[in-house]
Amino acid sequence: MKNELFPWLILFLPLLSATVIALFTLRSKTVSSLISIGAVAAGFVLTCLFVNANGIHYSGETSVNWLTIGGLNVDFGLKLDALSMMMLFVVTGVGGLIHIYSYSYMDEDAGKARFFAFLSLFTFSMLGIVLANNFLMTFIFWELVGVSSYLLIGFWFEKPSAGDAAKKAFITNRLGDFGFLAGILMVWGLLGSLNFSALQNAMVSNPAALGASATIAGLLIFCGAAGKSAQFPLHVWLPDAMEGPTPVSALIHAATMVAAGVYMLCRTLFLYNADALHVIAYIGGFTALLAALMAVQQNDIKRIIAYSTLSQLGYMVMAVGLSGPTPAMFHLTMHAFFKALLFLSAGSVIIGMHHEQDIWHMGGLKKKMPVTFWTFTIGALALSGIPPFAGFYSKDSILAQCLEQKNYLLFAVAVFVAGLTAFYTFRLFFVVFFGKEKTDHAKHAHESPLIITAPLVILAIFATIGGFIGITNNYGSQFVADHETLSLAQQFLEPLKTPVPMFIGIGVALAGIFLAFALYKIGDKDPLPAKLGGLATAMKNKFYFDELYEATFIRAHDFLAAVADWIDRWILEGAIIGAIRGGTDLSGRALRLAQTGNLQTYAFLFVLGVALLLYFVLGK
Amino acid sequence: MSILTYIAGWPLLAALALIVVPRNYRVIIRAIAVLATLISAVLAVKMFAQFVPGATGFQFEQQIPWVESLGISYHVGVDGLNVGLILMGAIVAFAAALCSWEIQTREKEFYILLLVMTGGILGAFASLDLFFFYFLHELALVPTFIMIGVWGRGEKKNYATFQITLYLSIGALIALIGLIALYLQSGANTFDIPKIIEHAKTNPLAVNAQNFIFPLLLFGFGILVSLWPFHSWAPLGYGVAPSPTAMLHAGVLKKFGLYGLIRIALPLLPQAAQSWAHFLALLCVGNILYVGWVAMRQKDLNLLIGNSSVAHMGFIFLGIASLNLIGVTGAVLIMVAHGFLAALTFALTGYIYKQTGTLEISALGGLCRKLPFIGTALLMAAMAGCGLPGFANFVGEATVFFGAWKMFPAITIIALWGALVIGGIYMTRAIRNVLHGPLPEKWNSLSDANLWRKLPYALLIVSLLVFGFLPKLLTEKINPDAQKIVAMATGNVIAASETSAPAVNFVAQNK
Repeated sequence: MKNELFPWLILFLPLLSATVIALFTLRSKTVSSLISIGAVAAGFVLTCLFVNANGIHYSGETSVNWLTIGGLNVDFGLKLDALSMMMLFVVTGVGGLIHIYSYSYMDEDAGKARFFAFLSLFTFSMLGIVLANNFLMTFIFWELVGVSSYLLIGFWFEKPSAGDAAKKAFITNRLGDFGFLAGILMVWGLLGSLNFSALQNAMVSNPAALGASATIAGLLIFCGAAGKSAQFPLHVWLPDAMEGPTPVSALIHAATMVAAGVYMLCRTLFLYNADALHVIAYIGGFTALLAALMAVQQNDIKRIIAYSTLSQLGYMVMAVGLSGPTPAMFHLTMHAFFKALLFLSAGSVIIGMHHEQDIWHMGGLKKKMPVTFWTFTIGALALSGIPPFAGFYSKDSILAQCLEQKNYLLFAVAVFVAGLTAFYTFRLFFVVFFGKEKTDHAKHAHESPLIITAPLVILAIFATIGGFIGITNNYGSQFVADHETLSLAQQFLEPLKTPVPMFIGIGVALAGIFLAFALYKIGDKDPLPAKLGGLATAMKNKFYFDELYEATFIRAHDFLAAVADWIDRWILEGAIIGAIRGGTDLSGRALRLAQTGNLQTYAFLFVLGVALLLYFVLGK
Repeated sequence: MSILTYIAGWPLLAALALIVVPRNYRVIIRAIAVLATLISAVLAVKMFAQFVPGATGFQFEQQIPWVESLGISYHVGVDGLNVGLILMGAIVAFAAALCSWEIQTREKEFYILLLVMTGGILGAFASLDLFFFYFLHELALVPTFIMIGVWGRGEKKNYATFQITLYLSIGALIALIGLIALYLQSGANTFDIPKIIEHAKTNPLAVNAQNFIFPLLLFGFGILVSLWPFHSWAPLGYGVAPSPTAMLHAGVLKKFGLYGLIRIALPLLPQAAQSWAHFLALLCVGNILYVGWVAMRQKDLNLLIGNSSVAHMGFIFLGIASLNLIGVTGAVLIMVAHGFLAALTFALTGYIYKQTGTLEISALGGLCRKLPFIGTALLMAAMAGCGLPGFANFVGEATVFFGAWKMFPAITIIALWGALVIGGIYMTRAIRNVLHGPLPEKWNSLSDANLWRKLPYALLIVSLLVFGFLPKLLTEKINPDAQKIVAMATGNVIAASETSAPAVNFVAQNK
């Protein structure tokens, strides 16, 4: 490995940045933010240099021993291959742009320095997941991104809703992590190693090495992915996570952290048997559908995009479940571009609107915010899967994967969701940017400064051309042994190889956009609730999952807690203390009986004692 | 003279010196206490740094015969099992002395008791002689009761003092009976622990003697460590204790019972340990799951933390019950980590109590705004408490899970739920209600810790982070000696455990 030190620097610079900010520069907003931006920018440059020196198709590891106890051997190791290097680009590249954007977005916040410390901590943790070469390292960084996300969702901790959302995200993720760690223990118990390469070798040499537990182990590990990537039934935390500042939504809850689950599945794809993959695929498909339906009736600009993130993550997980890691990672990367773009554009709108987030209070922003309008348009087209934008290529590859696996049900779901996606995206688009200004804020909206719009433009470029600049080549080489490298033109025309999904995909997307146009072009209120009735209410209330969990999981734990507390107080404490106290009391009373105060009794007992003593001494 | 004698001796000497200092020389009294614990902490760091992992026998050993007819001698030394505990104990004692600024009545007596407690417990951990091992622990235990009774806070003070005294005295008594029986049954005619162990290698104790003694030690020591269902004294006691006392007791003194189990019970009573292992693992569920639920229910921050601390003991017991190298190493790791953590949390709640006069969770809220440093530290402590990687507790807990997995998969799953989910719920709820949310107006006058007051918290957090990032510092020391203990504890069934036959089978055969 050339430049072996670089990956270590890429990983640890953000941690250094977080530490320095926390210890020394909390008083200075500017210095703190520059340190943080510098760390991630340096990471991007080092990634470029490293890939340039080793080539993207390089594969190797570098590690130091972290812990050895008998049969438990854990390295602090970095795995470098096409998969992790591409993710390094995404995290440091897209992440870097979001850092720069935050410099201006958070400028008026008193906690800006703290914000950048958290952001650096997050970057460190995310890079750790990307680079980890074994399960325990992954789990460690898994927990650390969880806590960074917790800190950033709860960044405005004085707002009760932010505190609640942070708590909810943490606990929901912990539920997933519970399964994840159990799965790790199971795999370690059966295969005797935690290292991904060693595990892969063990599975290749003996595909039945996991025996009867293979499905359970696979699904337990998937629990971790379901928590981080917010898959049904652990999807409830992501929409609430929008309580965090918008750059956080873009970085953590769209581009990187929520993608970690998909990344981890691709990293450990060798572990899953057909049954486990089957379940994973259907959970992904179901999440995609469920979230898309919910998105249709949301009114908060960030929440709509958040539901679309859920839905797109469902696509990725479904692709993994259909044995298509390349389409999954391809969509993950494209999604990082266009979803970060959409969130940052939404952030720009929110600034322009003076922190108003309800789309029905906006309207007519097209002329007021031209740059934001155009970048948002590109993001919306990419998300809807209109050629030649990035999302078209990756979504098409997933649709093609469904057909290749002959899973027509999931194909139908994916197609339907594609239509819904285009519909709700353009519902948002028309309501926010067209029609009349609905409030004074909308009338006085203004375009954001250059430091906000510049990252938007860069992301917009990638959301436009990302589909055919060689990204599938890099992922393909990771997962397919005889992968052929395609030229630019071949990539551009790649979807034509499978015309059926391509035309169907484009068709439903256009239909969705047209429907949105028809319903929302001029309307200043939502016509859907009247048309759909109860369904619209259910969509708006997220199909009542929050209420369901509140009534089951939380209630059950609170009930058990109450029972345990009652037993503790009245039975354990009462009974044991009572027994000891009662016992002492009783022996005291018994002894008191002997103390009669009667001289004759004492004399009698005294003589009895002497007689007994004499008997023992002399009698034997 | 061994460095260990100095580590335990300086605080005791300082306690003696304080007797002659007039009580109105407050600054001098405080300075002497802080200085003595500082010296002891510095020496402990030096000892830890000089410790050679895997060296044969004990290091920094010293032996002075005392009552030769009974085989009692002053014998101190360290190996991998207690080297980390002594380091932790000395650092926590220093932090506790620094945190004692909150005591403002009868300071002289308080500091004397604090120093006696420190010297006693550090001496007990260093002792390799059963007599001193037990005697020094009692020396540390008795001041606890007095400190809670005299300087305790809240309405429940008397009841809590009553309960903690009752429980711990009975626990210590049961353990004493066990130790005396062990002395009599071992036939080695000595109180010297290494000699008894050496003797037992060739003349193991009869199985029925083991089966009589082991439960005495398990429950005697268990009560001292708040083993379920003998735990209710702990949250209550820590709830009313002055924070330096809670720091020292929950952090350091409580580890005595666990250390005794590992050091004495496992190698000397192997068959009994094996047959009781499964039962012990079941009791752990009580600690981890049941007490976790109890913690969820608490309305007082200190009671919540006290219960969470009891729940953590479950992980240590689980590591011991798994009777293998990974589990026992993990147990020792958590003992060290939890010592720092418990001290940190009780120190922090002590600060908040001093400022607000209440730890009622519903009365607090939004404290991060006025107390950024204390709030951040409390957040870190809560996160360490629910097993966040980066802090030493995670390494210990994860190691215990790996160790216990092969022996008790079902119980390990329950323990995972307790650690990740239940721990996560009550810790994030506490943070939400204490640190987050709007700040009630009455707390506008609170002030954050100044530089000097920050020192103990910073010291404890750094300790947690150092061992969390570099667990090898501890594991490479613990490993060789845990290996010896485990080899003796499993003796004749090494083959069985290596083929990963569940311990259940063995228990079934034994019964």
